[in-house]
Amino acid sequence: MLTLGLEEKNTFLEAINKKSGANVLECYQCGKCASTCPVSDFMEFRPRVIMQMIKLGMKEEVCMTDSIWFCLTCSACSGRCPREIDIPAVMEAIRHLTIEENYHPKSKKVKDIRKFHEIFLDMIKRYGRNYELRMMAEFNIRTRNLFKDMHLAPKALLKGKIPLGHESTKSAKAIRKMYEMAEKLEKSK
Amino acid sequence: MKKLTYFPGCSAHGTSEEFDHTLKLVMKTLDVEMEEIPDWNCCGATSAHVMTENLAYALPLRNLVLAEKFTGNIMGIACASCYSRMKTTKVHMDENPELAKKINSTIIQEGNYTGRVEVKSMLQYCYEDIGLETIKSKVTKSLAGLKVACYYGCLLTRPKGITKFDSPEYPVSMDQIMEALGAEAVEFDFKTECCGASFSISDTEIVESLTGKILEVAKESGAHLIVVACPLCQSNLDMRQPDIEKHQGKSFRLPVMYLTQLMALAFGYPESDMRLKKHIVPVEEALSNIGKIQEPPPKVTKTKKAVSAESEVE
Repeated sequence: MLTLGLEEKNTFLEAINKKSGANVLECYQCGKCASTCPVSDFMEFRPRVIMQMIKLGMKEEVCMTDSIWFCLTCSACSGRCPREIDIPAVMEAIRHLTIEENYHPKSKKVKDIRKFHEIFLDMIKRYGRNYELRMMAEFNIRTRNLFKDMHLAPKALLKGKIPLGHESTKSAKAIRKMYEMAEKLEKSK
Repeated sequence: MKKLTYFPGCSAHGTSEEFDHTLKLVMKTLDVEMEEIPDWNCCGATSAHVMTENLAYALPLRNLVLAEKFTGNIMGIACASCYSRMKTTKVHMDENPELAKKINSTIIQEGNYTGRVEVKSMLQYCYEDIGLETIKSKVTKSLAGLKVACYYGCLLTRPKGITKFDSPEYPVSMDQIMEALGAEAVEFDFKTECCGASFSISDTEIVESLTGKILEVAKESGAHLIVVACPLCQSNLDMRQPDIEKHQGKSFRLPVMYLTQLMALAFGYPESDMRLKKHIVPVEEALSNIGKIQEPPPKVTKTKKAVSAESEVE
């Protein structure tokens, strides 16, 4: 009998369902998400395929693919999903799982995207707010991409599009405390 | 006089300072007193929710807690990304009081969250709480002659279960506000397509591809300029436009203005208040269409060129 290898308990599916609050099993593979997704063209596995892979318990493949990092959480897919599955929440659940369990997709693109998010969170931790110019500069330095967007800088600075200075927030201290507590809470799970 | 608790967001004090500035002018004319939360923090968009769950809730929640210290019952948010994070957090917290209590009590030590304050984008606030009639009544300089394409992006109306505002597919609120100002809002099919948002820095290739399509469709629609209500959309469409033109071998020359810049203009504020110098794509030529008498348009149905990747099938 064809069993799709589902005799074993699909712990991956269970984990994703629990984290996302969605039920991936409800997906009937119509593909509307994939044809709606604005970044489908950049994905190795489009949303429809990811959903099926979760059903099949293909944890390693799903956690190592670049595709989950390209999701922009624009919610176009879930808005059109006939089964009303919160697909961005599923993508988010996978990303959180990969971070918790130390999966590291190898492509430079994903490394850059993750580095950007890390710098962003770091910036909030330090200042309580985010400073665009500083973030761009730090991103370029930390991804060894020194001249990226440099041609935009003179015009943007001259026109006052991106201000040079930044304000300090009284909240910075409170935010740092929040980071510590959030980390503790994360670990206590 | 109405009271509004105001959350500007990081870019209002940075790249979208003209949004913040004109918003304040507009609210003054509309008799709304804005009280900025003095000690607000970054809501975490667009990174916190990608990387971590607790912090993704805690950062917006702190602002929601601070907002409850004001008398206003509505928190108005300038940036669409901030709005999305704040509203998502509010909806999830209100649905799950236990989770709210856990995050509130362990991570935030500056007050208790009760859920009293409503969260709205400034577009939603203008449309629902001020209303088209009031906006119309304040117009001293009609924008007649100007054709605009209203671009909403993803987050102002999506996901519909969270925003509960306008249509997630083809919203009309901004179009109606523009028409109240006298401008003509053109039919525009890419109103809610994503511009690539946060990938602006980390994956410029994706942003140029997505934003290029939006610009192309807006150009075809016959608009003189694009109107937005989100700082990320604005900077992707405006600042990256010259690069997109170069890389894709096309010419758009489409200025991208904030909703509030045009409102302020129609309410009689001088052009110098619009901070037009900050635009990368110059806006002066587009604005010169205001007041021009237009010949009645010939009623021919245009055949729109199919845009690639729309009907893409795996």
